[in-house]
This record gives sequence, C-alpha cells and structure tokens, in this order.
Amino acid sequence: MNQAGKALAEFVAEGTEILEALGKDLLVLDQQRGTDPEPDLINGIFRAAHSLKGLSALFGQERISKLAHQAEDLLDRLRLGKLSLDDQVLDSLIETLDVLQALLAEASREVSSDALSGRVTELGTRLANLGMTSAAVDEDPLDRLELDAQVRAVFTEYEEHRLRENVRRGVALFRVRAAFDLSDFDTGLAELNSRLKPLGEVVSTLPSSEPGGASGIAFDLIFGAKVPESELAAKLQGTPAQLFALRVRPAAGGAPAPAAHAPVAQSVAQGSRQSAPPSVETPAAPKKPRKKRAPKGGGAETPDAVTESPVQAPLLRAVEQASPEELTQGVLEAMRMGESTSPPRAELAGPPVRTLTDEPVSPRGPRMENESARSLTQTVRVDISRLDALMNTVGELLLIKANLQRMVEASRQQEGSVMLSSKMWGQELSRETRQLERKLDALQQGLLEARMVPVGQVFDRLARLVRRIARDAGKEIDFVIGGGDVELDKLIVEELSDPLMHIIRNAIDHGAESPEARLAAGKSRRARVSLRAEQKGNHVVIEVSDDGAGIDELGVRDMALRKNLITEAQAREMSRRELLNLIFLPGFSTARSVSELSGRGVGLDVVKNNIGNLSGIIDVWSERGQGTAFHLTLPVTLAIIRALVVGVSGRTYAVPLNSVLEILSVKPSEIRTVERREVLDVRGTTLPLMRLARQFGHPERQNDRHFVVVAGLAQERLGIAVDELQGQQDIVVKSLGGRLQGVRGISGAADLANRRTVLVLDVGALLEEGMSLERRRA
Amino acid sequence: MPSLSVLLDSFFYRPDEDVGPIQELVAGTDETVEPVPEEIPEEYLAFRLEGEHYAVPIHGVREIVKVPPLTEVPRAAANLLGVMYLRGEVLPVYDIKVKLRLADKAPLVAGPDASEPSRGARIIVVQTADGLAGIWVDSVSEVVRLRPSMLELAPPGVGGGERDCVVGLGRRKQQLFILLDIWQALT
Repeated sequence: MNQAGKALAEFVAEGTEILEALGKDLLVLDQQRGTDPEPDLINGIFRAAHSLKGLSALFGQERISKLAHQAEDLLDRLRLGKLSLDDQVLDSLIETLDVLQALLAEASREVSSDALSGRVTELGTRLANLGMTSAAVDEDPLDRLELDAQVRAVFTEYEEHRLRENVRRGVALFRVRAAFDLSDFDTGLAELNSRLKPLGEVVSTLPSSEPGGASGIAFDLIFGAKVPESELAAKLQGTPAQLFALRVRPAAGGAPAPAAHAPVAQSVAQGSRQSAPPSVETPAAPKKPRKKRAPKGGGAETPDAVTESPVQAPLLRAVEQASPEELTQGVLEAMRMGESTSPPRAELAGPPVRTLTDEPVSPRGPRMENESARSLTQTVRVDISRLDALMNTVGELLLIKANLQRMVEASRQQEGSVMLSSKMWGQELSRETRQLERKLDALQQGLLEARMVPVGQVFDRLARLVRRIARDAGKEIDFVIGGGDVELDKLIVEELSDPLMHIIRNAIDHGAESPEARLAAGKSRRARVSLRAEQKGNHVVIEVSDDGAGIDELGVRDMALRKNLITEAQAREMSRRELLNLIFLPGFSTARSVSELSGRGVGLDVVKNNIGNLSGIIDVWSERGQGTAFHLTLPVTLAIIRALVVGVSGRTYAVPLNSVLEILSVKPSEIRTVERREVLDVRGTTLPLMRLARQFGHPERQNDRHFVVVAGLAQERLGIAVDELQGQQDIVVKSLGGRLQGVRGISGAADLANRRTVLVLDVGALLEEGMSLERRRA
Repeated sequence: MPSLSVLLDSFFYRPDEDVGPIQELVAGTDETVEPVPEEIPEEYLAFRLEGEHYAVPIHGVREIVKVPPLTEVPRAAANLLGVMYLRGEVLPVYDIKVKLRLADKAPLVAGPDASEPSRGARIIVVQTADGLAGIWVDSVSEVVRLRPSMLELAPPGVGGGERDCVVGLGRRKQQLFILLDIWQALT
C-alpha cells in the first residue's frame, strides 16, 4: 500500500472508531429521551464530534470536517443550554451520524458523489437553523443567585450555563473554599475534586481572591450538591475545605430578562481569551466561545460575546448577521405557526424526509451501501495482554527451536557412536515435539482469540438502524439486545451484519403489526423485537425474534404457487415446516406491497446464502399470531475449522465438522429408491442420499457397507455416502482462487500434513444440487 | 536545550517520508533519455512438450517448481490437471498439450491412479489476471536470448485454428522455438 492509501486507511479506521463511539452515546441519549440529558454524555458526544472534525481536517476530508463542525456547533449550543434536546434535535443528530458514516464510506472508496454533498449541505443548514427556534428565553435564574458579579464575570459560558441549570433545578449551591500549600496544591485539589464528584457537580474551580497564607494558594469551588449540607460537611472532614452556602432569591424577584445567552448578538471578541480558568473542557474544546474575563459592571446585562470560528457555515453566518429585529420576527413567526410547520420540522416528521435523503441518480446501488451495517475498516482492536501472551508463546517456541538445534549439533558431533544413544535421543526428540505441539496450540488459540470481537459491535449499529426503520414503517418497537459480549471471529461478525439487518427489517416490516392492530389483537401496543446472542459450545446462536403476527404458511404456499416456485402437487405434499422453508427461496416475498425497506424479493435467500457461506445454519420458527424467530447457528471462527476427513474411491476430502450432524453406517440393502432417487430411512424420516463418488464422477467401489455423513445446512438435510472415514483434523481452509471459482461442490483446499492437499466440500452447494435434482424430477 | 525548530522537526519527522523512491524515479527518467539500442535481446524460458521446443517470455514466469503431489478437482474443466499447494497458496495446474494438439486427452497425473511424474517434469508458475496458475511441462531446458530479428511469424496453418496461442517462431541457429502466448493457452 502506498503512503496515501495507508494514511487513508488509518483515517477510515480512526474515523470509524469515533463514529462508533458517537453512535453508542447517541443511542444512550435516545433511550433517555424525555429526561434531562446527562451533561457528561452531551460533553462526550461534543468531544467526539470535535475530534472527528480535527481528524478529517487533518486528512483533507472537507465535507466530513464541515459537517462535524456543524454538528459540534449544534452540540455546543445544546451543552450551553441554548437549545433544548427535543426529538427534532436528536433526529437531526442521528441523521448527521448516518451522513457522516456515508461520507466516511465514500472517503474510503476515494469517491465523492454530488448527491451526498447535497445532503451534507442540506443537513448542515438544518443543523444551523435548529438553534434559532429556541432562542426565546425568559428571565435568567442566575440573577437570583447571590454571587459576586466579579466572580460571575470570570465564568466560562459553559460554567455559567451549568450554574444556571443548577439554580433552575433548585440544587443547593455551595462555595467550597480550600487553601493549599503551593508545593502540592495540585494533588490536594485533585483529591478534593474526587471527594466532591460523587456528591454533586463541581461547576467551577476559581483561584480565590483571598490569599491562602504566605506560601499558599486558595481556591473557590462552586459546587452543586446532591446531598444535604450536613452530609457534605461530614464528607469534607479532614480536608482544608470550608463550606459557604450560596443563597438563591425566590424566583419572583423581578429580575431583568435580558435573554443573555440568546445567540442573537454578535461581537468580535478580540483578545477576549485571556488565561482561562482551569477547566476540563479546555483541551477538548478550544473553539468554545468564552465570556470576556475583564470585569464588567452589571455583567448580567451584557450580552455574551460570542467568538465565531472562521470555518462557520456560510448560511449560519448569514442568519447570525441578520439584524436582531429580523430574527425575532422569524422566531415569533415560527412560534405563531407552530412547531410542526417550521421547515426543518416538516422535513423530519413526514415521509418527505425519505425522498430528500434518497440518492436521486441510482436509488438502489448507493442506497444499499449506505444502509449497510458493515463497518468500513478491516482493523481489529486487540487487548495488549493478548499480544503479550502471543509474544511469550513465540519466545517459548524459540526456546524449543534452540533445543532442537542443540540436539542436531550433538548428533552431528558423535556421528560415529550415534547408535549408542539413539534411544535417549529419540526420547528427547519426542519430548521436544510434544512441547512444540503444545506451544503451537497455544499460538493458534491466541491468534484466534485476537481475531475475536464482541458481536455487540454489530448489534449497536443495528440498533440505530432499527430506530429509523421502525419510524419509517410507522411501527412502535421495543428493541431488546442481549448477549452483546459474546465473541465471534471478526470476519464472521462483519459478514453477519447484512443478514441480520435483513431479518430485523423483515421482523419490523412484516412481523410487527401496527399499534392499532396489536391493540385489537389484545397485545401490548409496542411490538417487541429482540436480538440475542448466546454461546453454545463451539457455536454461537443468534436469535432474532418478534412477537408479531407470525408467518402465515398458507399465504406462503399461495405466493409460492403464484410465482411458480413450486407446483400444485408439491404444495399438497408439503408439511408446515417445509412450507415455512419456502421463504428462503430466491424471488420470494410475502409483502403485499413492495416497500422501500424490504420486500424487494431479495432478502431471505440472500440471508440464507450468506449464512451458508459462513458455514452457518439458519432455522425459522413461527406461530401465527405469536411471532417469528430465526435462529442463526454459527461457528466461532472460520480461519481454522475442524473437519471430518473422508475417503472416496481413493480420494480424500474434508467435510467441515460444523455442518455434520451425524454419521451412519449403512448396508447397501438399506438404501431404498423413491422415484429412482436413493433415500435412507433414518429413525422414521426419509433422508435423501448422495453418493459422492457418483456425483464427482470417480470410479465407484463396491462396498459391503457405506458410511453416510449426514450434513445439515440451513433447513436442508442430506446424506453423503463415502467409502471410509479417516478421522478429524483441524484445517486451514484456503480458497481455490479466481480461476476455479466455478467448480461446484468444492469450497476450498486445505493442506494436511505430508504435503497432502485435500479439497474441502461445499456442503451448501451439494445440498442445493441434491434439492434441484429433486425438483427437476418432481 | 535544543532550539524549538529542532524539536519540531524531530516531532514531525516520519521515517516513511523517505525520498528514496523519488530519487529512483529521477534516475529512471534519466535512463530513458539515452538512445535506445535497436536490438535488445529478450529472454525466453524454453521448455519441452512431447519433444517439441516451446518458449515463453521469461518476465511472465514467476517460478519453476518440481511436481508436487497434485490433487484432482472433480467436475473441473478438462485441461485442469489438479491443484497444488505452494507456500500456503492453492493454485491450479493446467495441461496445455491438448490445446496444442500434442495429445488427445490430458494425462492423469493427480489422484490415486496417477502415474509417477517423469524426472524432468516441472510446473511453471505464471501470474494470470485471476491469480497464480501452474503449467505442466515435460522438462525445462534453458533460458534463451532472442533478438527481434530472430523472431518470425508463425507460418500459416500453424498459428491458425485451435493453435491461436502460438504467436510466432524463434530461430537460434538451427534450433527452433515455438513462442507461446501462455495466457491464451490457459483459456
């Protein structure tokens, strides 16, 4: 990879990480909808947007940095309380995240589509306009606080906002004065802070105006306590801190209503940023607007000085430069017309939002990519302790190598008398081999572990999509996630995201009923869709279930008949289970109307294919009126699999053990034929049989008994007749490469010891073959 | 105390910003300015198939390996002899004798009924558009240098029809080499 490519990959990896963190925080925010947001959470999101802005600017990704800046701006206003967190803001933030994700995807492919650029501009404008609607604010509760104007003048805007918020909520405020010795005031202060943290919120830390002795320094901590004063005093025992309560006048104080923090006024605050008071936000938010520190008479009446960074979006700038009258006019108008008619609101609430965000040129292609829950980067985060363990193992391997080398040297020197010590030599050699084997096992295990990532990574991304899908479909959904910490190979987790999305979409689109229908059916108003992962031995089972309408197998049958997927005669003979399985056929869709979300006729067959590619098994359960559940059984890892080595006509093949259900020993007389097709009777069920030698065109051997490997993948079962079983082995499957892609029935090759290359059977393809044979005959 | 600029330099220095490649690039452009000699001999790898001498441009050949045990692939194309493992990669090995009408059917060299490969037999590994591929040859003889003047078009009747993978003939004194388009031969 060249320099630029490497840099880009690094950028994409880091950007993805930031967006992932951002997504997680937004999700928490979404879940807390309606309650007062945690200030730390907003700060976290703000910082994430800020670091993304910096990162993308560094890599010259202008569109990302611009949008991130606009988001940061919005979050800043949110943080400072100029904007309340309503649905509209939250939806915009989540959409911003989606757009950022799409931008990152385009950046990773080094393309830049006009459609997306348009969407960025449109969204940016909306973000900028969002703040304007909540500009009208009544009296400032801060004025009720008995606090020295001089002290108040040095607060940063954020600190002032937090203080105001605390006053509004009626939190008991204290000034905690503490004097420390100059030599160790930092540790003392840190200790005080850590003591105070669990008791409430440290709004600001200011150097005290009263000196704390000859070689000391005193601080004033403005503190909003969650606990009563007595408890606070008790907790502060043993520290140099003194408590002073800050009194708040009652609300009807008739204070002037200057709307001090409305973002209307703008002044160029030259040199306003003098040495800032110590604040945790400082490094993360250097562009944060600050109040002038110079003491001003009647600071409360002075409008905030807002420093606008030069990269401000043009539109926002234009709005802010508009005269206050115009703006007030606009705000009043917006208020008069009601929220729902203000342009951003209208775009968000109704279906038009879909057309706005749709790619106008080719609606299918890029859209699918945007919607993918796949991550953009190929990187895996590995705990350093895991790498250390690997390193240790490698060190021990080197030791074994040294031992072996020493033995070689020794044997070379005493070549004449080698017979003498050959027994001892053999013992030593076998000991070393055992050691080697053990260490190699550890190395393999360690590497596999390093590839493991929690499935929660995908679950979180899906949860975001669910939210949108549910809203677009007009359903009310409770999305339940479980077992996110179950670990799977990174490769599998990535491949899993699209199939899971398909299934969840189906659950929301087809499974879950509308709230009215649910109430009529005597169910709770909100449908429940759950996504759970569970480790079961060497497999991970992922269950997607809903408590919706279930699958109507008769509807399925009629649809399959109408689409000529099955014949009338076949349909008559099918069991309920078999009918349910029809939903996995290509071109099948039960949705009466083709919606944008699902029902394009691609869906479950793709899901089945993808799961099959991962050597997984998919099972469907459904009860009409009660719901549907899909079970995906997946191997924990793909890189190294356990295989059953079988022999057919002198050839050797490997069958992935995870698709082997059982092995039978069968006499030729037990094989029956149904319509000239060979079948076996296994405990009362009929199992189609495939002779591998015949299927592969190898000369068949006459055996007095066959071994039948019963393979199962997804819904299908098939018996594969082979001549001999040679045992089990761990194999590393290599793909056959581009030139041999077309060979059916073989998924790859593996190297057994002794330079023997064996082919690995593609059980899925063989099953398909068996089934299509059956269908042709039927 | 080192000066600020030194500190900044060491902070921003990245070893991978080496200018090495650029110098090479410059050197390369210098070379092409020199007048091109009219006859640059090109190197060909010569090998034998059923007694005939063939040759392919050596730059297309990645390596030559002894014949390892091959694994036959069921239901694959007729010219596929089998697959082999080469340092962790699986690559297909092809027969080109049928294509060149040197044999009626590909020899059976993989699987339990295969005969031992002859002592001289080798696999020539070439890079193709979809990965590495191996070609079975009876023996590898030498690397020959052929000047453009030593090449001639394939006589009519030889280059046509099925043998479109023959691009010409190379003549060195009395010896004749049939020049192959190896990628064409693999289709």
